[in-house]
Amino acid sequence: MAVFKHAYKGYEGALTPAWSRFLILPRYAFAEKRRSRFFSLFFLVSILAPLIFALLIYVQHSLSAMKLLQIGSSNLITVNAAFFMNLLGWQSMMTLFLAAFVGPGQISPDLANNALPLYLSRPFSRAEYVLGKMSVLLILMSIMTWIPGLLLFILQASLEGNGWFGQNLRIAGAIFLGSWIWILFLSLLSLALSAWVKWKPMAGGLLFGSFFVAAGFGGAINAILRTSWGNLINISHLIGTVWTSLFERPMHRGSGAFFFRVHGGDVPTWCCWMALVLICAGCLYLLSHKIRGAEVVR
Amino acid sequence: MSDPRIVFDNVSRFYGEVLGVNRVNLAIPPGITSLVGPNGSGKTTLMNLMTGLIHPTRGSVTILGIPTGRPEELFRKMGYCTQFDAFPKGLTGYQFIYSFLLVHGMVESEAVRLTEEALERVSMTAAAGRPVAAYSKGMRQRIKLAQAIAHRPTVLVLDEPLNGLDPMARNETIALFKQWGGEGRHVIVSSHILHEVDRISDQVILLSHGYVVAEGQIHDVRSEVKDQPMQILVRCDKPGVLAARLFEKDNVVEAKVNSDGRGLLVRTRDADNLYLMLNRIVLDSGLDVDAVAPADDDVNSVYQYLIGGEGGTT
Repeated sequence: MAVFKHAYKGYEGALTPAWSRFLILPRYAFAEKRRSRFFSLFFLVSILAPLIFALLIYVQHSLSAMKLLQIGSSNLITVNAAFFMNLLGWQSMMTLFLAAFVGPGQISPDLANNALPLYLSRPFSRAEYVLGKMSVLLILMSIMTWIPGLLLFILQASLEGNGWFGQNLRIAGAIFLGSWIWILFLSLLSLALSAWVKWKPMAGGLLFGSFFVAAGFGGAINAILRTSWGNLINISHLIGTVWTSLFERPMHRGSGAFFFRVHGGDVPTWCCWMALVLICAGCLYLLSHKIRGAEVVR
Repeated sequence: MSDPRIVFDNVSRFYGEVLGVNRVNLAIPPGITSLVGPNGSGKTTLMNLMTGLIHPTRGSVTILGIPTGRPEELFRKMGYCTQFDAFPKGLTGYQFIYSFLLVHGMVESEAVRLTEEALERVSMTAAAGRPVAAYSKGMRQRIKLAQAIAHRPTVLVLDEPLNGLDPMARNETIALFKQWGGEGRHVIVSSHILHEVDRISDQVILLSHGYVVAEGQIHDVRSEVKDQPMQILVRCDKPGVLAARLFEKDNVVEAKVNSDGRGLLVRTRDADNLYLMLNRIVLDSGLDVDAVAPADDDVNSVYQYLIGGEGGTT
């Protein structure tokens, strides 16, 4: 064997904690998104609804504002579970567009450019990669859903006083939990589709398709077979049913949550939960199958 | 002291029913090791196994004593450069190196220092601020090498690193490999360019159809190929005389006088014996010998003998 002069020195400097490394991925994704004017405009539009809802809460509690706007107490909107459900419904619909815009660009370019070995030939696992990519969506969608929702809840509680906070704590829980169910579901679905088709426009189209085409197909099943089980492939129905159980309120047609209204029928809530869990499991399977350091060519 | 070798212990990898590599036993010492073989011979599979990007169906792989299933330890010691152009969208050369050092776990100040060091080593400092997408093929290849070496690994696995490089860049890159290999690192290189493999390798691994056909220093491998007589070129003033004397011996298969009349190409089954004989003939016949050198003691010849003309580039 040859004799070598060990002239090099390996890295012996400081390291960041292993759990924090996935946060490098959203950092670069946000920098890229900030460069997009369309994205910035969309994001500004997406906070309009919370501002309007905040205004409604404020007017509700300000006599001078009511006088100025010439609103009588009979015309006031009641700030209750339905009010927050409407906000959540509207904001969640906006996040669907966000997911269609941002989600497909997370994984598909890396797969199309064979960039996965670059990430995975580091002390960085497949799960961390998916978590890093997913956190882009999780952070953006949180800013659009549960964060404004809870801020409005706190605003209402502080203006209302008289134990309103304690009496309506369930609403806060429903906003938080309902938002996270939707955010996690939508993030997983958009990443899985992005990994599956490897082509951004197609993945975005498929995301919309999985909502609208599946809903139409489910409706057709219901009509032809005179059943309501077709709703199990209607994602907005599934989410709407879960939210209804969380808020203990029916979804109103024509409200801000119209996209998630429950179309009647009597699919049990637990079946809707199960359907959501199954779809998430399918997405995880797809991601674990597609996110590999080396492509397996059979 | 930990094992300084890369060890494959009876490793097989199948893709469904398709064979990747089969029953591979290797113990690769430090230095430059070239993986040579035609397309589909299993070079990239072997590299992916080393880097833990795929796992063996059977057997085990350890890198400097670290099993490939322990990425946190493994990738502190290993740098990998894929054969594909693989760059996240929109990054400059600097950001490319820097961001992956952060993914590697380096703190920001260290990442800045290591990025600058790596860029300097591949002579890319001046172009570091430009987007990778605007780089030439050679520059992309060099920036890929920079990301592989930036965290100062002991083992470098480089898949077709000379592809697309112009002759000047190729020479610079080969010089880097030699420097790294000389420092006692492992530099594992796969290449189709056999004469360059010959120039740089301390040892070679020849692969064909998923099997290791031969491994070791090229001279040792060549001497093991007994069924192909060794070719030795003797530059001398009287090649005809030499040829006549050599044909008196059994182990000389063929002798061909060079067209310039100043050399003789001899094919023999026993090179060591031929060298001894040559000494005697030179003394007896008063030949003026300029040079004696093996003519097929190189990767290209060994490749042709063991694998055949299946796709190596000379």
